[in-house]
Amino acid sequence: MTKVVLEAKGLQKKYQMGEVVVEALSGLDFQVNKGEFIAIMGPSGSGKSTLLHLLGGLDTPSDGEITLAGQQLSILNDKQITLVRRHNIGFVFQFFNLLPTLTAEENIALPLVIDGRNLQEYQARIDRLLELVGLSDRRQHKPDQLSGGEQQRVALARALVTEPAIILADEPTGNLDSKTGTAIMNLLKRSCVELDQALVAVTHDARAATYADRVVFLQDGNIVREIRFLEGQEMSDRLNMVIKVFEELEAMG
Amino acid sequence: MMLLTRWLTLRSMRSRPLRTLLGMFGIILGVAGLLAIRITNLTAMDTLSALFEGTSGKTDLIVTYNGTDGNGLPERILRRIIENEAIQAAVPSLQIQTALAVGVPESAMPLSLLGFEMGGFSIFGIDPQTDPAVRDYTITQGDFLSQDENGREIVLVENYASENELEVGKVVELLTEDGPKEFTIVGLIAKKGAGQNNNGAFGVIPLQTAQELFHRSGELDQVDIVLKPDFVSTDQLAVVKTQLQSQLGDDYPVTSTASGGNRVSQMLNGFSIGLNFMGGMALFVGGYLIYNTFSMTVVERTREFGLLRTLGLTQKQVIVQVLVEAGILGIMGSFIGALVGIGLAQSATYLLGYLLDLDSVSLKISMEVILTSLIIGVAITVVAALLPAWQAGRISPLEALRVRGIRKEGWLLRQGWKLGLVFLLISFIILVANPFPYDVQFRLGSLTVIFLFFGGTLLIPGSVGLWQRITRPVIHWLYGAAGQLGSRNIQRSKLRTTLTVAALMIGVSMIIITRGMTDSFRGDLETWINAYVGGDLLVTSSSPMRSQVMRRLEAIPGVEAVTPMRTLEVAWQTPDGKTEDLVFMGVDTETYNKVTSFVFSDSQVDADEAYKKLSEGNALFISSVLAEKYGLNAGDTLRLRTRSGELDFTIAAVVINFYNQGLAVQGNWQDMRRYFKTSEAGAYLVKLADGYGATEVQQRIQDTYADRENLSIASNQSLINQVLTLLNQAYSMFDVMAIIALLVGALGVVNTLTMNVLERSQEIGMLRSIGLTRGQTTVMVLAESLLMGLIGGVLGLGFGILLTRIFLWSMTAMSGYKINFVLPVGAVIAGILIALVVSQLAAIFPARRASRTQILDAIHYE
Repeated sequence: MTKVVLEAKGLQKKYQMGEVVVEALSGLDFQVNKGEFIAIMGPSGSGKSTLLHLLGGLDTPSDGEITLAGQQLSILNDKQITLVRRHNIGFVFQFFNLLPTLTAEENIALPLVIDGRNLQEYQARIDRLLELVGLSDRRQHKPDQLSGGEQQRVALARALVTEPAIILADEPTGNLDSKTGTAIMNLLKRSCVELDQALVAVTHDARAATYADRVVFLQDGNIVREIRFLEGQEMSDRLNMVIKVFEELEAMG
Repeated sequence: MMLLTRWLTLRSMRSRPLRTLLGMFGIILGVAGLLAIRITNLTAMDTLSALFEGTSGKTDLIVTYNGTDGNGLPERILRRIIENEAIQAAVPSLQIQTALAVGVPESAMPLSLLGFEMGGFSIFGIDPQTDPAVRDYTITQGDFLSQDENGREIVLVENYASENELEVGKVVELLTEDGPKEFTIVGLIAKKGAGQNNNGAFGVIPLQTAQELFHRSGELDQVDIVLKPDFVSTDQLAVVKTQLQSQLGDDYPVTSTASGGNRVSQMLNGFSIGLNFMGGMALFVGGYLIYNTFSMTVVERTREFGLLRTLGLTQKQVIVQVLVEAGILGIMGSFIGALVGIGLAQSATYLLGYLLDLDSVSLKISMEVILTSLIIGVAITVVAALLPAWQAGRISPLEALRVRGIRKEGWLLRQGWKLGLVFLLISFIILVANPFPYDVQFRLGSLTVIFLFFGGTLLIPGSVGLWQRITRPVIHWLYGAAGQLGSRNIQRSKLRTTLTVAALMIGVSMIIITRGMTDSFRGDLETWINAYVGGDLLVTSSSPMRSQVMRRLEAIPGVEAVTPMRTLEVAWQTPDGKTEDLVFMGVDTETYNKVTSFVFSDSQVDADEAYKKLSEGNALFISSVLAEKYGLNAGDTLRLRTRSGELDFTIAAVVINFYNQGLAVQGNWQDMRRYFKTSEAGAYLVKLADGYGATEVQQRIQDTYADRENLSIASNQSLINQVLTLLNQAYSMFDVMAIIALLVGALGVVNTLTMNVLERSQEIGMLRSIGLTRGQTTVMVLAESLLMGLIGGVLGLGFGILLTRIFLWSMTAMSGYKINFVLPVGAVIAGILIALVVSQLAAIFPARRASRTQILDAIHYE
């Protein structure tokens, strides 16, 4: 039985930009199951980043409800949302966002330290994650001693260290070359499969989207299209499907 | 928590060493200033108390005479005193100011700005058998006085002896009323205990010898009393004092040695007030720098804090981390500040010794003072970091993402000007309405300073737009279109701009305040001192001078006029019924105006009319200090205790007079003779005729009369210069603080502009890509900085003048000194120029950084 990890109903977000009110999301429904990898795509201004921020509890919706790990976020105060985020969400950012003063290992362990946990008890987990991302021999290096791809791998390991219910990735390959980007997407996919991790990634990269189980297309704050890939489907097929949807959407204007 | 602190806070501090040092510098500055001032105050109190104790040593009570006729205590009083069962010993002494024939003492001028006489040579006529019971004598060479009551023996202080090449066995001449008399030095004592008297220019001779040679047979100046052990508690001492007083009568005041300490406190009051204000300012400036630095840190770490919030750090945890950093900086900075403060106190103490003409002044360091200063330092750091910590806690997790939403200005920036007006209004009401008693006013005065600065600071965000519009033509003229672009930027980071402008405002204010206080004080003091040390020469003697001396002086070629002066300590009844001491200065109204003049407190007073009243008798000129302190005016009466009983004198006028800290009245010579049985002069002021030089006439008097009449002659100008030099040295200490405050402001400008450049890298890259040259980029930053300097300078000027007036008013409220405000024009011009120059110099580094922005990197900059 699939377990729903995150559910959003009737999600709305409006911004006041001077005297103009901009509706970034217009009453959207969204659901993520355990172990599911969802890519969110759409043109600039479609609301995909806004959706990600709301799902991660980084912003509050104007209307609608988000339920994460069985908790309704709208009834929680800032501290409670923070704790939900701490225990249930891992973030991967476009620009890595590692602390420059910490080593790779320390950056990975940071969420545990924030949660006040005894690191010794989690050393095995940290070692496993370093191995998963292929950085066991670089654990003592600081971010400025790592390449972009290596930094993003550290960021991914950091996102996984608390064994969160869901990973939210904001343009995870946006700052990487194609080869490195591919490596990162492979890792993300692996974490979904091997760790039964739910993952939502916002991306404008069609190739990155082909790693997902389904792709959700946003336009003007609404979900306009959804593609569900078949297991084992060739990457080239998937890519064609994505491109086709883009063309259709473009033609619709 | 510890690990989090290590990873987040300590490593962050290490990775930003300059920022860390800057924050520490703030607290070092504050703690050093505070500790230096507290130690200096303690040292001054201790030193002056020791001077009093040197002469009173083990004494419990002192009996003196009202001294209005110069006759002294009759010796028979001893029998009446010793009748009291509580008394163990009653030790008589005669205390005379004279001279040893070893040259003219350096500080012969009894200016008594601090209220006691210094200079000359002080002789105590004592009973060598009983005197050691009340005073400590540490014999270092030879012996103490023998039992020969009429012996011509003298014991000197070893330091004084060494300076004047005197030794045991040598014969010296002591100047008496009958001319110089020879004494043999039989012993030397250490410069401690009684040896501290008159800074070591002190000696003891047998009592009867003193009485004989100074025509004081059967008279004493003081009886020191030691009580029996059963009677030395505070309560019993008070009982014995009252008993003795009622036994002896009002002509023989009985005082306890504790009252000497009170007098020291009073003396230091005015000195302490000024120092304490500066101590408070040092802490304020230090705290402000910490606040500024932490605010910059929070801005710099916005993305990091956003990330940490994303990872699950709560608002409270963020706040705690910032405050932990503050605590660490506070502890480190306070310790270093304490060391620096002790060093500063050493310099201040050296200056104190110089001012008081003391050979050595040892620092009085108390662990309690150091500990409390350390605690205050840490507390101030944490308090100063509270607002930045709270702001850090409010950083949204969205800051961690590439999305930077429109950062909404906090309420304080948008509407804070209203609160600012409230603060300014409250300050205005406190200043003008003035409904509280003096001590409350003083405390409120300190609060007013803080309210004024906060109020002014809160007005800045709302007013920057106006400033920018007003200065637009000037900026355009100076820096062109690029400059205008830069000046508009001042409206963008309002919080940062506000912090920086406020720091500059404080720096400029401090320059205006220190110069304003100095010039105002100097203005009144110079006016007074020129009048008090009127004429061209000052003639004094070891003993009171008869009128024939005046006639002889008048006969000297080159002397145009001579006027006598005499001071007596008299008792008076204050308006609230207490009996206190003040100084009666006798002036000869026939000759006074020929040599010098009075300085009337009120310029509207009819000087001739006032002078006429004084001449007619039963009238006084009182000092402005007395007038302020007791609410007295011309036309009121003042009751003095005279030889003829208590008499009311009409106050003819209020004059500027700082003699004896302003506790002085001036009456005419005839009244002095009639009511106080005194007709001899303590000094003569001499005015020279045109065409005659001071040196020439001084030499003439010296050659003709100095030895015969035991005269000391000094040029008034050199005495005035000496006093003014000492004051300048004292005030230069405050100038240093002002410069430091301005440097703090300059550092604030560097910080602000650097952050602005960093945050606007993309924008600068864009401008460069569309054609802005490197030079124009530099100019853009300079213009923004110039506007900050201008706003800070003008605000600093306004508040500086206002605060100077507040401080002068507070000093009047506390000590009675009324100082007229003198606008420090030079400082005003310098203050604004300095603010402008400092702002431009501080902008050089950020401007260069901006001009060197790599276009492509900047456009790709996140």
